[in-house]
Amino acid sequence: MALIQARGLSKTFKGKAAVRNLSFDVVPGSVTGFLGPNGAGKSTTMRLMLGLDNGEGLTTYDGVAYRDLTQPLRHVGSVLDAKPFHPTRKAVNHLRMLAVSNAISPTRVNDVINIVGLGDVANAKPKTFSLGMGQRLGLATALLGDPGTLILDEPANGLDPQGVHWLRNMLKTLAQQGRSIFVSSHLLSEMALMADHLVVIGRGSLIASGKMSDFISTSRRNAVVIRVDQPDVMVRELRARQAAVVAEPDGKLAITGMGSDAVGDLAHELGVRVFELGNREATLEEAFLDATGASEEFRASMGFGAEQPAFGGPGQPPYGPSGYGQQGPPQGYGQPPQGYGSPQGYGQPPAQGYGQPPQGYGPPPGPAPSGQPQPPPADHDHSRPADPQDGEQR
Amino acid sequence: MSGALKYEGVRIRTIASTYWLSGIAIFLNAVICFIIAVTVTTSDVDDLDVAQVTTWTWTAGASAPITPVLAGVFFAVMGVMAMGHEYRYGTNKATLSAIPDRIAVLVAKVLVLSAWVAGVVVTSLLLDLVVTWLFLDGPDFEIAAWRPIVNYLGYCIGLALAGFGLAAILRNQVGALVAVLVWPLVLEPIAYGILGVLGEQSSRGVGKLANLLPVSAGRRAMFDPYEIFAGFGTLPTWGIAASVVVFWTAVLGLVVAGSALFIKRDA
Repeated sequence: MALIQARGLSKTFKGKAAVRNLSFDVVPGSVTGFLGPNGAGKSTTMRLMLGLDNGEGLTTYDGVAYRDLTQPLRHVGSVLDAKPFHPTRKAVNHLRMLAVSNAISPTRVNDVINIVGLGDVANAKPKTFSLGMGQRLGLATALLGDPGTLILDEPANGLDPQGVHWLRNMLKTLAQQGRSIFVSSHLLSEMALMADHLVVIGRGSLIASGKMSDFISTSRRNAVVIRVDQPDVMVRELRARQAAVVAEPDGKLAITGMGSDAVGDLAHELGVRVFELGNREATLEEAFLDATGASEEFRASMGFGAEQPAFGGPGQPPYGPSGYGQQGPPQGYGQPPQGYGSPQGYGQPPAQGYGQPPQGYGPPPGPAPSGQPQPPPADHDHSRPADPQDGEQR
Repeated sequence: MSGALKYEGVRIRTIASTYWLSGIAIFLNAVICFIIAVTVTTSDVDDLDVAQVTTWTWTAGASAPITPVLAGVFFAVMGVMAMGHEYRYGTNKATLSAIPDRIAVLVAKVLVLSAWVAGVVVTSLLLDLVVTWLFLDGPDFEIAAWRPIVNYLGYCIGLALAGFGLAAILRNQVGALVAVLVWPLVLEPIAYGILGVLGEQSSRGVGKLANLLPVSAGRRAMFDPYEIFAGFGTLPTWGIAASVVVFWTAVLGLVVAGSALFIKRDA
């Protein structure tokens, strides 16, 4: 199972840099999400990683460049387009064509076409396929060589909800088997459920790389929220302690720069009655918008207030004129928010109509209590940064 | 390299256009062969050169300038599709993901395409041989000229490779298709005619430029007998070897240019 190391990836189109000196790792046993606004350079980066575009830098798979891989489909599977096949060549022939080039058994063709749920249309011409069916055939192509690494560009595009659910489970299962999964998507809610790690880029440059929980914890949307009977007193004392306070329309105060314990203690000292006290964790979407607001390549300029990024955006006070006095992750967020920590639905069979999970793609062997993922292999401990950039936010 | 050859072998065999283009080429040749054979056998001309007529019929008219080599157009279209599909449907990314060695991809395409066209031409020649045998009274195969047949085979392969090269250069299947149809069927005949007129009115030097028209040069190399037909019209012509060189220089130029761009460009 391959460790992907991208180093110094750069690409220029007609003098304009599309990707700038991009370096990151994708560790085995994880789903690494690749995020960035439209035009950030995600697809270009993936093409550079596969040697499809001529640019600078090098991507290695366990130390070997893609072009030097013997029978590359056995090492790296990829989907870069929604319908990358001839419309009148039968689906099964498309896969056979790719299989023979990498000495892959014909029986494997039948296996993968059933894995992706296209067994009934294996002999159909893809011109009759929906976008979602096309994505499935693309995924079959990627899985053909039973590779240790998958690179997928927007694989959920066109999939129906059942298909998205199936894709998520499959990718997580593949990751649990120790494979490296690198996947881009605009569906941040889906990415939040799927990915363990993130690589975030904007305008071709790296914005963040590391664990998703670390990325979310840096959002300015993380705050302590309190509702009290004397908000004026509370605000005055909080600001005296260098905390940033924003009064919200519903009477709550959003506080950064102090932990919830300290805020509770302060309310107690002041004799203020507390009706509500808690931590508010940013969503991936909020963290993403915070991180990439200044990196949008294409920004709407009319209507719907689109000139201002949602949630304030960089340089904008998130909730009001007071703004946050301090930047950086708040304290006291040890636990990941619900829905972002443990993946759900491991080992679930695909929804009806998509076939049963084939052998080798079902739940991983061994104990997986409560459907929790198994830890990654010991030799690829991704709880620590793989390189100095891992976990670093630029 | 073997993986690339297998890939291309499956690619060309699993696409419907390969079969209908090949089928039409064979069918057209058979029809032309039949028409020539019937025309010759029902004519009143007594002093027919048996060997010449045999070759003319067997090559479905390719050895005489009055009969167009329509099959060649279909081989050129086949060549366009060998590369044009990669760009039109974005399969070049899947191809290069499976076979990152671009030179291997190109070599495999050239070899498999050439082999397929050669196979179709040979099949067509065999069918035409049967028609010739059936209709001609005493066909003279012993002295039938092999040069036109060999050059006919090369001409068809060359047109296919020219289509392949054009598609690689243009990265546009429709544009390449238009080019392979318009160039030999429209532009070259017009250019040939203009040069003929200019050659008569001005000097022989201008007329000699017609020797550089590649499709016409490839076509002339099939003429039998070359001495009679090569000077068809008023234009002076170079010899057979020079005509073959002009044709293949143009073909290889397109293939080399297209290959260089395929290697250099982003997928």
